Amino acid sequence: MSSVVPAVKLHLNKREMTFLVPLYIIGMVALISVLISLVFLRGGSVPGSEGWLTGSRNNPAFLWAFPGYLVYLGVQSIATTFPFALTLGATRRDFVAGTLLWAVLTSAYITVILAILTMIELATGHWWSGFHIFDIYILGLGDLSLLVPIVFLGSLTCLVVGGGFAASWVRWGARGPQLIATALGLVIVVGVIIVIPSAESIFASFAAWWLAVAAAVAIAISAVGAWLLLRPATVR
Amino acid sequence: MTNAIEIRAVTRRFGRVKALDEVSFTVPVGSICGLLGRNGAGKTTVMSIISGQDRPTSGRVEVLGATPFEHAATLSKISYVRDNQRYPDDYRLHHVLRIAPEFAPNWSTDVASELVDGFQIPAKTPIKKFSRGQLSAVAIVLGLASRAPVTLFDEPYLGLDVSARALFYSVLLRDLATVPRTVLLSTHLIEESESLFDRVVIVDRGRVVVEEERDDARELALSLSGVADVVDRVAAGRAVLQSTRVGGLKSVIVRGPGDSDILNAAALHGVQVAPASLQDLVMAYGTHDEPATTTKEGVRA
Repeated sequence: MSSVVPAVKLHLNKREMTFLVPLYIIGMVALISVLISLVFLRGGSVPGSEGWLTGSRNNPAFLWAFPGYLVYLGVQSIATTFPFALTLGATRRDFVAGTLLWAVLTSAYITVILAILTMIELATGHWWSGFHIFDIYILGLGDLSLLVPIVFLGSLTCLVVGGGFAASWVRWGARGPQLIATALGLVIVVGVIIVIPSAESIFASFAAWWLAVAAAVAIAISAVGAWLLLRPATVR
Repeated sequence: MTNAIEIRAVTRRFGRVKALDEVSFTVPVGSICGLLGRNGAGKTTVMSIISGQDRPTSGRVEVLGATPFEHAATLSKISYVRDNQRYPDDYRLHHVLRIAPEFAPNWSTDVASELVDGFQIPAKTPIKKFSRGQLSAVAIVLGLASRAPVTLFDEPYLGLDVSARALFYSVLLRDLATVPRTVLLSTHLIEESESLFDRVVIVDRGRVVVEEERDDARELALSLSGVADVVDRVAAGRAVLQSTRVGGLKSVIVRGPGDSDILNAAALHGVQVAPASLQDLVMAYGTHDEPATTTKEGVRA
């Protein structure tokens, strides 16, 4: 009797957190973006002008608003849900598989929502007012072939990496995340030391797919790491 | 298969601490077994291992004929809610009632509803803000409504008032009659729970010191009380498990059944004799300097 599907349902059980809070965040980002646009409008900026477009498209609000929540969602998906899942009778294997499946579903949900809103924004001439909320650089400038991998892989990375850190906490207590963060910091610093002489040529040949590969690697390492950490973990 | 739970020579170490030391006992199918002992005796560790939430360092555990750790089919037949159970962030009662049936194939909505109403568990308050008694009530709902073939209760009525405990006993006995299952229950309310048990296991400092049918356990020790000197004389030659002295009076728990020698000596010297209660036994083994494994015959192992 597999408990993968029940484990997915366990995560989806908190419907507001999974389905509504992302909508609240999108709504808040949209509201703040509109208010800032109004400030510029009242300051004399002209919708559709080069300055207006450059400023609107550089809107980083989603970058500030979403990752924090998604990492938290990933952390709680293991830190406080793992003990309850085992109480209900899930195996560790099925819990990790169900958690990964839930992360994929949640990322897909957020991707679909943002894709739909982007299409509406484009279809309405930016909400009949020239306001850019979703047609922005970090979401692929209205190009769904960019938006979908950006949002899906970005969301999935936040959720799974958050889960990986939480798994280390379940396994080793407070020292777990500290150890992983320290190791990660060391790897990054050593990597920078190695590549810094070639930084100019690396930046010159940078391609967006590098980020997709980096996200895939982070997701794979975090998911496998979570499984390896949780398999021998005991419930405290 | 006659035993629902079989534990053989299980040891569990946490670093240098030995929480369980060569623990062995069995729980027959369909019985209600009391798991008794002082705080820190190893009760929760045993239950964690039985439920697959932990693994023994050495030894063997079988539940319904299989090792429970990561065995999905067996885990679906076990219910175990820890006394310090953690729930996901922002969980309320309805979250628990909605998800539990997904994991418990025998879930009874009627039993859950009856208990929720009886315990008056708040619906809108986040579980993390529940009182100790309300947390115990949620654990009882999960344990009883799951109707799992092997149900483990870890201090199920911490913080519950007498009416709530009466409801627990009532629903437990009635539902067990309807859907028989094996129950292992740890508690400190020994006198109150004693009548529930078919069987008792007493653990002390990680070792099983008593494993008996409930009625047979009463024959493991005697309580002697009277004038101190006289009590000492009557108890001479018996292993004293616990001794309490108040002024010139003394009460001791001695190992062994009430044979004619000791009964005659007690009658001769005016010493009161009574079978040790389960609570006496737990207290005696919990305070004794030399822990020993005792069987019905009083054999030290």
